[in-house]
Amino acid sequence: MDNTPVLQVKELRTHFKTERGKVTAVDGVSFSLNEGEILGIVGESGCGKSVTSQSILRLFDEKYLTAYEGEIIFRGKNLLKASNAEMEKLRGNNISMIFQDPLSSLNPVFTIGQQITEAILLHEKTTKKEAYQKAIEMLKLTGIPAPEKRINEYPHELSGGMRQRVMIAMALACKPRVLIADEPTTALDVTIQAQILELMLELKKETGMAIIFITHDLGVVAEICSRVAVMYLGQIVEEADINNLFESPNHPYTMGLIKSIPQLDGDRKKELNVIPGTVPSLNNVPKGCRFATRCEFADSKCQEEMPELITCGENRKVRCWHYETIKTGGENFVFTNN
Amino acid sequence: MKEFILKRLLALIPILFIVSLVVFLIIHMTPGDPAHVILGETATEEQIENLRQQLGLNKPIYEQYFSWIGGVITGDLGYSYFMKMSVSSALLEHLGPTVSLSLLAELIAIFIGIPLGILAAKHKGSVLDQSFMGFSLMGISIPSFLLGLLLILFFGVQLKLLPVAGYVPLNENIGSHLKYLILPAFSLGIMQAALIARMTRSSMLDVLNTNYVKTALSKGVKQRNIVLKHALRNAFLPILTVIGQTFGVLITGAAVIETVFNIPGIGQLIINSIERRDFSTIQGAILFMTLAYVMINLIIDLLYGVIDPRVRLSHK
Amino acid sequence: METVRQSNIEMADVKNDLKKKQRQIIIRRIFSSKLTVTGFAMIIFLAVLAYLGPLFVQYNPLEMDTVNRMKGPTAEHLLGTDNFGRDLLARIIYGSQVSLKVGGFVAVITAICGMIIGLYSSYYKGLDNILMRICDGLMSFPAILLAIAIMAALGPSINNVIISLSIVYTPQVARIVRSVAIVIREQTYIEAIKSQGASAFRIIWKHIAPNTLSPLIVQATFIFANAIIVEAALSFLGAGVPAPEPSWGNILYDGKLVIFNAWWVTVFPGICIILATLGLNLAGDGLRDILDPNFQKSK
Repeated sequence: MDNTPVLQVKELRTHFKTERGKVTAVDGVSFSLNEGEILGIVGESGCGKSVTSQSILRLFDEKYLTAYEGEIIFRGKNLLKASNAEMEKLRGNNISMIFQDPLSSLNPVFTIGQQITEAILLHEKTTKKEAYQKAIEMLKLTGIPAPEKRINEYPHELSGGMRQRVMIAMALACKPRVLIADEPTTALDVTIQAQILELMLELKKETGMAIIFITHDLGVVAEICSRVAVMYLGQIVEEADINNLFESPNHPYTMGLIKSIPQLDGDRKKELNVIPGTVPSLNNVPKGCRFATRCEFADSKCQEEMPELITCGENRKVRCWHYETIKTGGENFVFTNN
Repeated sequence: MKEFILKRLLALIPILFIVSLVVFLIIHMTPGDPAHVILGETATEEQIENLRQQLGLNKPIYEQYFSWIGGVITGDLGYSYFMKMSVSSALLEHLGPTVSLSLLAELIAIFIGIPLGILAAKHKGSVLDQSFMGFSLMGISIPSFLLGLLLILFFGVQLKLLPVAGYVPLNENIGSHLKYLILPAFSLGIMQAALIARMTRSSMLDVLNTNYVKTALSKGVKQRNIVLKHALRNAFLPILTVIGQTFGVLITGAAVIETVFNIPGIGQLIINSIERRDFSTIQGAILFMTLAYVMINLIIDLLYGVIDPRVRLSHK
Repeated sequence: METVRQSNIEMADVKNDLKKKQRQIIIRRIFSSKLTVTGFAMIIFLAVLAYLGPLFVQYNPLEMDTVNRMKGPTAEHLLGTDNFGRDLLARIIYGSQVSLKVGGFVAVITAICGMIIGLYSSYYKGLDNILMRICDGLMSFPAILLAIAIMAALGPSINNVIISLSIVYTPQVARIVRSVAIVIREQTYIEAIKSQGASAFRIIWKHIAPNTLSPLIVQATFIFANAIIVEAALSFLGAGVPAPEPSWGNILYDGKLVIFNAWWVTVFPGICIILATLGLNLAGDGLRDILDPNFQKSK
């Protein structure tokens, strides 16, 4: 696997103008996506993972709603400073995206053929006929049976799994270097989920594209990602290779997430592990470490000062004052209540 | 698709029946003996009785209804003694102005309403949007005949720019035709424009927030095409409903506007017939207008099937 | 037994408390929207004008004064005189009484009749078929045409205007009540009450009806506005309130006759109509935003 970054996000901040004032949904997120890798972004609902992914393509309304800060470097250019025309050329072409609910993400009044060929015709100089042929091929590639018939059908005539395959076909039609997958399997049945994941792995191998895979499901992450970033309340709190993350998590939140996965084996009488408390609202971001309100290891330093995201190993980063002591199991942990 | 149309047409029949029944009953509740009215004060008892026999006014009411309906189905709507012509001919004569007026008004409503609504949705939250809300509120608060009077005052009396009454048929002179229709069409159309604009704005806002618009954006579709191609077609259904509703109101509001601007359309025909107690014409004209209203709603319904494949396919 | 009775009393207390809180919330929300408050203010102003106005006006609206006909606004006649020399301000004030009377009665009558028809149609299938067919038929008529036709049959007078407009607008109220009632009837708690032996009357009036009140009130407000407009149109056409009794509509009729020479006879009643309609539309919009939980502000 390559270690050259194809996409670099640096100190991304995304602000929204709401009735209650300015809300910062993504607050200083930085990560790199390397060639040909699958980077997972995990977190609970509302942690900012979707906003991050949509910020990369600048999908929010910039006139009245959103403001961005930071840099997003792709092919040597900062996407946040690119013109509208440049972004339009890039979207669906060099960087593509697929979304969570394929039924609501496909336009109900156009056939899937029309929607796929639209993507092709936007970025490649071909005739309509050729585009249709290409679309049929893409459908074949994503495993849709009888594509010549399907291509003239409407989204609501297909099943959930097929619709997601259509979305993938549409996203890959122009051979993008980066695919952003925003919870692509969350709305699907478990068996279909497995098929889609397999499909994505295959396509990645064939095309060599890099994927940002966004999900809240750690199980899915374990199956498909090579590297993971864990997000909480608009920030990345831990970043690691997949094995390291599961074997020895450094951040209390990550530990909590892993512990809360129900075990199939083991003592059935034991209670499920939960992370106590709830995520604070974005309007009321706590001072200091944002996870402190729910962290069993938090002390007064955590509540006062915000820890930075620091490198703590090979390909590892963490945002916690006490990660060194915590990762050794917590027995040696001493509260520093100043 | 064909079954869809057929089903709709069949559902029409009981409605048409009730409509004709209501019209008939109302007219027959009107006091005054038609024969007496036609012949005037100087008629003798004998003459009146003769005419009554001739018009079949002594037959039981359901017989009168059925003979009228029978005539209607074959196209015979009766005879007007005041205008000395068949009701159908009278209707045809007066049809032109009303159609011109209604069409022009509807076009004004659509071509002002939809673009305004789209703009307001695109620039939601801006000054443009807020002044739009103000304009649309004013638009629906001024009844069309009042607007007509005010426009007459302003353009006709003060500015002396446009004619305030009268009508020139289309085939005579298209320029004058339009000149005489502009003020009345505007009076009729503005309120509908406001309603259409409001619905366009809210429908567009709903659609612009959907996931598939986000997908289109992520594919690199240009902003203009997102609004006009992806969003508008989905937003159009509710807009079409309002257009249909407004067209109906339009046709009937035309009646009052025709009186304000002295346009010899069907509306004026109805009003005059009521004054003259020309029962057969009143019956025929109201039935005709109502039929037109029903048919327009039907066409709008059918258009739904064309625009939204989900409607079409659910009837397969 | 004592404990059961005790808990029943407590329950009733809690219920009353909740209802009071709900009412307070609604009132607070009404006042929070500037537009809605403006709307209500305009309506109240109109009512005051209509019923207290006559105390301040010294002219009889029917009194003709041919010497002073078609005079513009002066100190003597604040809004001018019409083509018969009648004081315009007096006529407009008495005309507002007509508008409020017609609008109010029509709103109330259609609300009551529409509610009854809608509720019973939603409950009894047989009744539903007949009544809804009739409503569909009536709703197929353009409102003004139907009103004109009925007025032609009944003859011009204020009460006939009220009757005619009530006939015109009841079907749409019935439809709305019916559609809400149908949704509620399908809820499981209705089935539960039925199985406990509640009578149809009780189910309809105690359980279904209260839930139809919100859309009913909103509808009634808009019908009030429409009734004022249609009455004015009818009177303008000569098919509404008969002259010489003043109604905004027949003042406009007189106004049109002299429009080239006496603009005030058109403009002043016109302004009143606009204010009344605007006020009612604002109030209705505001009420709908507040009372209808399903209606989302897409602003």
